[in-house]
Amino acid sequence: MTERRVRVGTEELRVDELAAKGGGQASVYTLTDRPGTVVKLYREPQGPDQERRLERMLGLTPLGGRPTNSSQPPELAWPTGVVRGLDGAFLGYAMQRFGEPDHIPLIGLFTRAQRLRWFPPRTDWKFLLGVCWNLAFMTARMHHEGLVIGDFSSNNIVVDGNGFVTLLDCDSIAFTDPGSGEHFPALMQTADYSAPERQAGGPATEHTDNFALAVLIYQLLTVGNHPFGGVPHGSSSDSTIKDNIAASCSYVVQPDKVVTPRGMIEPAILPPALLTLARQAFGPGVRSPAERPSAEDWLRALDLERGRTHTCPERPRHSYGFHLQACPWCTRAAQSGQDPFNPPPAPAPMPPPVPADPAAEPEDKSLITPGILIFWAILAAMVIAVIVAAANG
Amino acid sequence: MAGSWWDRDRSQDHTAPNPNVRHDAYADIDFENNAQRLPLVLCLDTSSSMAGLPISTLNDAMRMWAQELHDDVSLSASVEVAVITFGGIGVRAWRGPQMLAPGQPGTPFVPAHAFHAPQFEAAGVTLLTEALDMAMQIVAERKQELRAAGLQYYRPQICLMTDGLPTDTEGQLSDSWHRLGPVLAAEQEKRHFRLYAIGVGGISQQGLDVLRALAPAFHAHLHGFPFKQLLAMMSASANAEQKGAGDEVFEKIFHQFRTQRSAWES
Repeated sequence: MTERRVRVGTEELRVDELAAKGGGQASVYTLTDRPGTVVKLYREPQGPDQERRLERMLGLTPLGGRPTNSSQPPELAWPTGVVRGLDGAFLGYAMQRFGEPDHIPLIGLFTRAQRLRWFPPRTDWKFLLGVCWNLAFMTARMHHEGLVIGDFSSNNIVVDGNGFVTLLDCDSIAFTDPGSGEHFPALMQTADYSAPERQAGGPATEHTDNFALAVLIYQLLTVGNHPFGGVPHGSSSDSTIKDNIAASCSYVVQPDKVVTPRGMIEPAILPPALLTLARQAFGPGVRSPAERPSAEDWLRALDLERGRTHTCPERPRHSYGFHLQACPWCTRAAQSGQDPFNPPPAPAPMPPPVPADPAAEPEDKSLITPGILIFWAILAAMVIAVIVAAANG
Repeated sequence: MAGSWWDRDRSQDHTAPNPNVRHDAYADIDFENNAQRLPLVLCLDTSSSMAGLPISTLNDAMRMWAQELHDDVSLSASVEVAVITFGGIGVRAWRGPQMLAPGQPGTPFVPAHAFHAPQFEAAGVTLLTEALDMAMQIVAERKQELRAAGLQYYRPQICLMTDGLPTDTEGQLSDSWHRLGPVLAAEQEKRHFRLYAIGVGGISQQGLDVLRALAPAFHAHLHGFPFKQLLAMMSASANAEQKGAGDEVFEKIFHQFRTQRSAWES
């Protein structure tokens, strides 16, 4: 098999054969000799604009002064080098690797199966609240520095076991090069997170980021429910989230307009201050970009809630907002049989799993041993009796 | 602390909290997840010409692909897989590894995270037309079920794979596929689904002409039986659908696939 080599800076590196992640525009590959680095290679030759964009990005250190806490990963998977073929052709860029199992796409927090598989055992609603805070913090800092995320989605953000977030695909953000003054617009978008004006072809702005941020925060706090889910009443046509966004049709604001998604978590799971922001974003904010809460608005409200959650005394992984009197997750489990945070009970016909606790073993032996002793004692007595009988016979 | 609670629960608590609710992986609609769905239908030729290496290659590729779907954090949230085979005893739908009897109630769609590959055997005739009819039917029914549950869906994908020519139940070449052309065109014009038609192995020019007529934009001839790449392409296409990509992106993905020479594209 032919070996593929690329040049990053002055170094020649081997690219692994199979893509770690593929998309429509580019694929991300690991490097044979650099486990901590990946290269994103575009599927098609890129024009000079994209190459210049990457060159300019290398000269910037956004969200400068990396986190002081070394356990925290960088907030941006910023390009670390331009990747060229051995002939010098521009192919893509290199960046630090943020892959599984340490870094999981945010969408992995939206379903119980994935949460239980990838995240620490105690992952609960308070953890999700903390992830929201980190997202809002990152967004606020980027906006403060004049950066627009543009393609802000549950696949472009990865989260680690401590809830720290990192933005991938930084090559698609919008920014202005401070040296030349040249503006680079955001190129990509994801339909489920695109504000109506962006869907209609408008540029990415802080306001379109604020829309995506509101959707992501809402999804996290409702363990995965999209605020523009649901099928409009009487609709017989194909129905998508994108359509509901364009029609400003959110059940968070107007629950009567749609058949709400089966198994929906009630919006009131959000503490009142956060629900107010969500209603602002998914009500008037849909059509009026300036009315959407900013990342800072979210940050302030989230900060307050982080300090006053309740922990359920009945079950693990159950925490909830200060505004609720009883554990909403226990209520849901009792009503529907679905506990969004804990694994389902083992199916009844299955034998109970072998105890994983090695300390249990000697205990079991001590229980079984007397039985075995009695068995052997009886058997021995019988054998002796037979021998005696035979001898006597 | 949490661990001890759960150990106790797992070994003893078979009654909590509602024993009547079954957490069946094949429950018609995955209750805990109300993400927008992406129905994906694999419509596979398992007629006698696929016997031997081709069918075993297909079985292996399906098993690996199922594992890849489980491991894909993004796709496992929304993709639902249904399989249709044509060959053997006729056209059959599969719910994961289980073949459904004709008229058996329940959807053949299985959430990606619970999908396990069937084990195919090659035999019989090539009822391609009937298989596509069934694919369109199960997609339409699935949409209705999802809508009724308030769940949205991306544009479904149907992937047709064959190495032969459409026949009737007697194995005689059949022209019945002619009537499908306009139906498929109209359905796709309305964006009801996207059809990929892939010819593999020793498919004849005549067979390729049929595929071209059925899927003018997305038909291809692959040498040999590169099922792994074929399924990877379906995943890439699903990714693009999830992102809300435009038609040109799908054409790009497919074009790449069609002209593939090196092993660089997964």
